[in-house]
Amino acid sequence: MFPSNGSKNAQNPLPCLWHNNCLNFEKLIAAQHVEHIIIIDILNIALPLLYFLLVWVYGKAFFADFPWAKELKSKILFGIILIHFVYLLDRTFVFNHPPATTIFEILTLLAFSVAVSYAFIERLSRAKETGYFILNIAFFFQIASSLFIKDLLEVPDVLRNPLFGLHVTSALLGYAAITISAVYGFLYLMLYHEIRASKFGVIYKKLPNLETLERMSFIAITMAFGLLSLAILFGFIWLPKAFDDFSYLDPKLVGTLLIWAMYGTGIIAKKRGGWTGRKVMLLSVFGFVFTIFSMTVVNMLFSKFHNFH
Amino acid sequence: MNLLCIGISHHTAPLELRERLWFSDDEIRAAMPKLKEAGFHECVLFSTCNRTELYVVTAEADFRVDFLKKFLIEQKSAQSHVNEENLFSYFASGAAEHLFRVASGIDSMIVGDVQILSQVKSGFNLALATGTAGFFMNKLFQSALHIGKRSRRETHISEGAVSVSYAAVELAQRIFDDLGSKKALVIGAGDTAQLTAKHLLGKGIGKLFITNRTQERAELLAKMSGGTVIPFEHFTERLAEIDIIIASVNADKYILEKTDIERMNKGRHGSALFLIDIGMPRNIDPEAKELDNVFLYDLDSLNGLVHENVEKREAEIPRIREIIGEELAILFQWHSALQASPTIAALTQLLEQIRKEEVEKNIHRFAPQDQELIELVTRRIVNKILHTPIVNLKNGHDESHNDRLTKINIIRKLFGLDARKERSHAG
Repeated sequence: MFPSNGSKNAQNPLPCLWHNNCLNFEKLIAAQHVEHIIIIDILNIALPLLYFLLVWVYGKAFFADFPWAKELKSKILFGIILIHFVYLLDRTFVFNHPPATTIFEILTLLAFSVAVSYAFIERLSRAKETGYFILNIAFFFQIASSLFIKDLLEVPDVLRNPLFGLHVTSALLGYAAITISAVYGFLYLMLYHEIRASKFGVIYKKLPNLETLERMSFIAITMAFGLLSLAILFGFIWLPKAFDDFSYLDPKLVGTLLIWAMYGTGIIAKKRGGWTGRKVMLLSVFGFVFTIFSMTVVNMLFSKFHNFH
Repeated sequence: MNLLCIGISHHTAPLELRERLWFSDDEIRAAMPKLKEAGFHECVLFSTCNRTELYVVTAEADFRVDFLKKFLIEQKSAQSHVNEENLFSYFASGAAEHLFRVASGIDSMIVGDVQILSQVKSGFNLALATGTAGFFMNKLFQSALHIGKRSRRETHISEGAVSVSYAAVELAQRIFDDLGSKKALVIGAGDTAQLTAKHLLGKGIGKLFITNRTQERAELLAKMSGGTVIPFEHFTERLAEIDIIIASVNADKYILEKTDIERMNKGRHGSALFLIDIGMPRNIDPEAKELDNVFLYDLDSLNGLVHENVEKREAEIPRIREIIGEELAILFQWHSALQASPTIAALTQLLEQIRKEEVEKNIHRFAPQDQELIELVTRRIVNKILHTPIVNLKNGHDESHNDRLTKINIIRKLFGLDARKERSHAG
């Protein structure tokens, strides 16, 4: 059993349903939610296993060329996205807040975002060979989430606002797309060096060509920019109402705006200036590193109003 | 029913002899009916650049190999160049196995050749159209085509370029997404350059330019390939718009220096530039390889890729042999069942005839109301006697081909089925 439901804390996590001595039904929202909580518990265990299966199937298709894996992988991805969506919906419904109030709730949302963003890119680019590399990220996010997630009943009212859900979801989808873009950038650089060094191994044979990888990275960047724009928009509407001490100079807001502007400039440069090739892909990887670095620094040193608890 | 294959291939004769026995479709159409007239039940003949093969089905014990070899040579009036020793022959299961090897691509000069399957198919379709392929050839060639498809689907026998020219095009496809939007320049008009240009056109290159010191040769290649000629003195002025360059001229010094490529690269905003140098000595300064987004390959690097791919294809041969073995077993099973069917029919007919004769002879001994019952009972007895032998003849999947044939022959001899057949023919 995952330790998610096992202990009480300040946020009143739900008790574990499997141990009588842990039961604390007065904290259960209603008796009819018991079934939903069982479903959530099962999915919480099943999701990492399902993502592992997904990565395994994509790996079999990429490295071993198994025809059945090539045939099934996109269908399995779609199925797991649906199951994950049900899980997130169920959590939102049962605990009465979007699953974005703790780092481990955010991690499962991130895993979902990576899977959804990749599915979109796979559909748009029609290149299905890179899933193994991208979906590994979703798998690790989901494992971390499933191991430590807690079922919080009581969260600040501000986090029950639907705008908060939209803000966080679009922001996380945007950051997932940035991550995917960086993975494509990294794969591009690997293939670039293999071709230049006349190494004709698995990477050379199985990855899409350089131009396709660049196109996929650009699709991801464009998605990221659009989603971050939405996150910022929802944030501007919701944050001033939610926090009395809201400031437009909040470091997290400034950091996000900087990242947004950086990617916006990159998109314009590529579209108008015709930027292409290795340097653009290096920028994509550096952009991701900068994003992670700035968000980490801001979260650790400065963040005030984004600290919800 | 016997199967025979005779033919000529790169294993048995050099090109100058093989081309003497190359049959066009019209020549095949003219030759096949003559074989039917000569008493062969079914025949299929096909020619490719590396082989001409004739498959015949005959009911005779004598395959008439010499007759067929002479027939092929005489049809092409090649008696003064080709002799019978230049032709190979395979019989029965050996002939089927040979066809399966050919269709799978492991018998080709370039292992895993993708064209051979369509050539085998065309040959079979031609035989169908001329009415010389019947049910046996249909089963044999359908099996061969199935093996060809399985080999390509289940193994890597046809993967990876195995010629320098194709390796160059394959590399281009690992860099560029859509060759239709790219422009290529061929510098020189040598054989490999021509082949590379041909492959690029086959892959739908957007625009092909050709330049050569001798303008006439450039124009000839342009005419053959549908390219556009650029005068040799001016080709460097057009470099900025080119994505792929194939250089293959005889020159004492580099025709493209690193500085030329650097200049080219400046206006390209980082777009990839793919350079293939197949000149000897080299035509492009190898230091250009250090430039960003420049992919430069010479003969050595392309040969390395080709060699690697050939080794990988050869490593698939054992797996292909397994596939051939599996399909041969299925073919033998079908063939055995085919041989059992006439025996079952003859045996049924024999017992029915005996039953009928005996009923007719003795029916007057029974009361009229019992005569219908006698008919029914005797028929039931015969059916019950026949049931076990028929089932055993039909289901011999676990037996070897020879065991099955022995069983069929014993039944034919015990019941005198062949003697009956001869009597009825004589009658």
